[in-house]
Amino acid sequence: MLNALKQLFGNDYDEDGFRECSVTGLSIHRSAENHVKLFGLTAVIALIIGGSFAFTVAMTRWELIGLIPEDGYYTHLSMHAWNILIFWMVFMEIAILYVGGPIVLGRRLPLTKVVKAGWVTMVVGALGVNYTAWTATSAGGGEAPLLTAYVPLEVSAEFYASAIVFLLGATVAALPFFVAIWQEKRGAAKKTLPLVVFGAFITGIIAVEAILGGIAAFAYALVWRLGIIESVNAGIYRQLYWIVGHGTQQINLVAMITVWYFLTHVVGGAVVISEKVSRSAFILYLFFINLGAAHHLMVDPGLSAGWRIFNTSYAFYGAAFASMIHAFAIPGGLEAGRRQRGLGGGLFGWLTSAPWKNPVFSATIFSIILFGFVGGITGVLMGQMQLNMTWHNTFATVGHFHGTVAIGTTLSFIGLVFFIIKTMFRRDFISSKLATIVPYFYAGAMGIVALMMMYIGILYGVPRRSSGVVRNIPGTDFSLSAAAPLMNVFGVFAVLAILAGTLFVLVSVGSLLFGDRLEGDDRGGMLPDGGLQTDGGASVHAVDLRGTFAISLIFMATFVSLYALNWFLLTQLWSIGA
Amino acid sequence: MAGPFDEPEGNWWDEPVNRRESIWLGIAGVWSLAIFGWMSGFTRFGDQNPIGQTFDVDPDEYQAMVSEYKEAADETEEGHLIPPGDSVYIAGRRFDWDGLPVVLEAGHEYDIHLGSYDVQHGFSVRPEENLSKQINLQVFPDTEWVVPMTFDEPGTYHVICNEFCGRGHNSMHGEFIVEEP
Repeated sequence: MLNALKQLFGNDYDEDGFRECSVTGLSIHRSAENHVKLFGLTAVIALIIGGSFAFTVAMTRWELIGLIPEDGYYTHLSMHAWNILIFWMVFMEIAILYVGGPIVLGRRLPLTKVVKAGWVTMVVGALGVNYTAWTATSAGGGEAPLLTAYVPLEVSAEFYASAIVFLLGATVAALPFFVAIWQEKRGAAKKTLPLVVFGAFITGIIAVEAILGGIAAFAYALVWRLGIIESVNAGIYRQLYWIVGHGTQQINLVAMITVWYFLTHVVGGAVVISEKVSRSAFILYLFFINLGAAHHLMVDPGLSAGWRIFNTSYAFYGAAFASMIHAFAIPGGLEAGRRQRGLGGGLFGWLTSAPWKNPVFSATIFSIILFGFVGGITGVLMGQMQLNMTWHNTFATVGHFHGTVAIGTTLSFIGLVFFIIKTMFRRDFISSKLATIVPYFYAGAMGIVALMMMYIGILYGVPRRSSGVVRNIPGTDFSLSAAAPLMNVFGVFAVLAILAGTLFVLVSVGSLLFGDRLEGDDRGGMLPDGGLQTDGGASVHAVDLRGTFAISLIFMATFVSLYALNWFLLTQLWSIGA
Repeated sequence: MAGPFDEPEGNWWDEPVNRRESIWLGIAGVWSLAIFGWMSGFTRFGDQNPIGQTFDVDPDEYQAMVSEYKEAADETEEGHLIPPGDSVYIAGRRFDWDGLPVVLEAGHEYDIHLGSYDVQHGFSVRPEENLSKQINLQVFPDTEWVVPMTFDEPGTYHVICNEFCGRGHNSMHGEFIVEEP
């Protein structure tokens, strides 16, 4: 076992500790590579834990099965939420920072002792959160924290303390990334960072903002639970909490977009169609994306309409505009890169001729498409102050963030894990066929799960965070049982999505332990046709990007239609508000 | 051609932008401003806005206000409250809604006062015969929120809690009984 683990961290490096990646051509230092592996593996463990609880949670919400009674349900939901939304994501994101910084720049990872200290602190915090969430209801009548631990619910002080420890650990682990950027720019102020590094840098800054908000929120709750302050204000806690609650999801988003630029380039042959436009979009994120935390406060008392409208719109939709820029730039880069190589003609030949059997490619493309159509559009809809009245705390909200996180971000991270298995762990898949199936199976099943959640929430008003109100609300004849047929569809596809997730884990862990070693410059089938670099061809700005333009217009038409539909439904309601 | 791993060559800022990307920037920019304008404008011309006066209030004070209101209210034979004026007081409490059921007149504007005695709750309302018509508002223990509402159609409107408020949260239910004037 120990030997197997040791082998996972072994590659041939030169005497300075560097090696050249046979796929990307990047010069990779041992220090960076090993820590990417460490954080990546930890993330997968969190995914396995959180994913197991996806099963119990989904099988409880599918009331036909009704797996867990109300008492235990909230505990399971807490475990699912923290392990997937926070631990799987944040461990993975630290790994992405190390790839996007030192590895792309061809540098060592500085301060490796700090890195290790950060990892240990994060693990201690994560274990603490898991333990306190799991035991929350067993001692003294406390309540399960769920993701939000809203005051003044009786959530234990140890829980808040553990969450703070985890966030501190993440800050410490991010620090060496910033040092690497500083080292790169020292004495070369006019040097331009590569786009992927720039994206990772923006991700890092947004992450630190989010984490500071989280530390403030949990510290506020902690001092109240310890009796240092007498009372706690629900509204203030919510404002602080959502800086990290939504902020972590914004880290996911920006990290994911960085991964999109990275992977479409490496496995699809994408180019950057405009450095200026893509970088400007990242700058818009830097200034505006964290304002989106206000999405959660749209139907809260105590906040003025002006405050809510400005913040929920990320300042006149600055960040949504940025996302629409990337939504064009990334497929556009793929189209340009492939057309320059003469791969595929017509409107969509560049796309249909792409390496669809490579799971890294298909996972990335499904991530882009489904994130935009399912997660992105609904995020803007539910973030409009008035529409939020029909979405807030319904199952549709859960559908939205399964569209963003469980489909979009998770798929891109699945692609990245597969890529790292080939290029850093240097293993072949134990079964290429099974690996190829994973993105299709997962995207298909999870896509339907998210859509069902949205239908059930919007059309039947089924709430989130409830173990069962569809078939029976205790103490009344009223129920939401009209939603039961769609709940059955949800339940079946949830099982399928979990099976797809299990398949991903089996293929990746199996490949790590039993996959054949890729020797020398074996590229494991990762490179696009015609190699990584295009030589010659038409200049990028002269390539006709009509395929991407057509896809973007379809996206906009969908967006406009859903927008109009949601507003139409809203105006059918009784009159409300001053 | 430069990829995303490379330091861009030359004066990349002045490189021309692809024509179709420029058009897309225009479309996306206009759409962004349009949906901002609509959301903002709807607060002036729309009938569904989650806007109302708010007051800081201690949960005990709010409980006293609700008690006072209930004493002033009439009751139907079934024990449903009939509000004495235009104000209707409702409080979330683990695990029911104090002040409900209440009988209201269709087409009449009421000031619905929302608050909580203990933790946060989710005020989630829908008519019995059309579940897709539903609105949801957050309720705080330290804030009183006065949101005007006019129920146009008579019928029974069910209120459930859609914010996790503790084990037992599933059973939180109340009703508005809206009658023809």
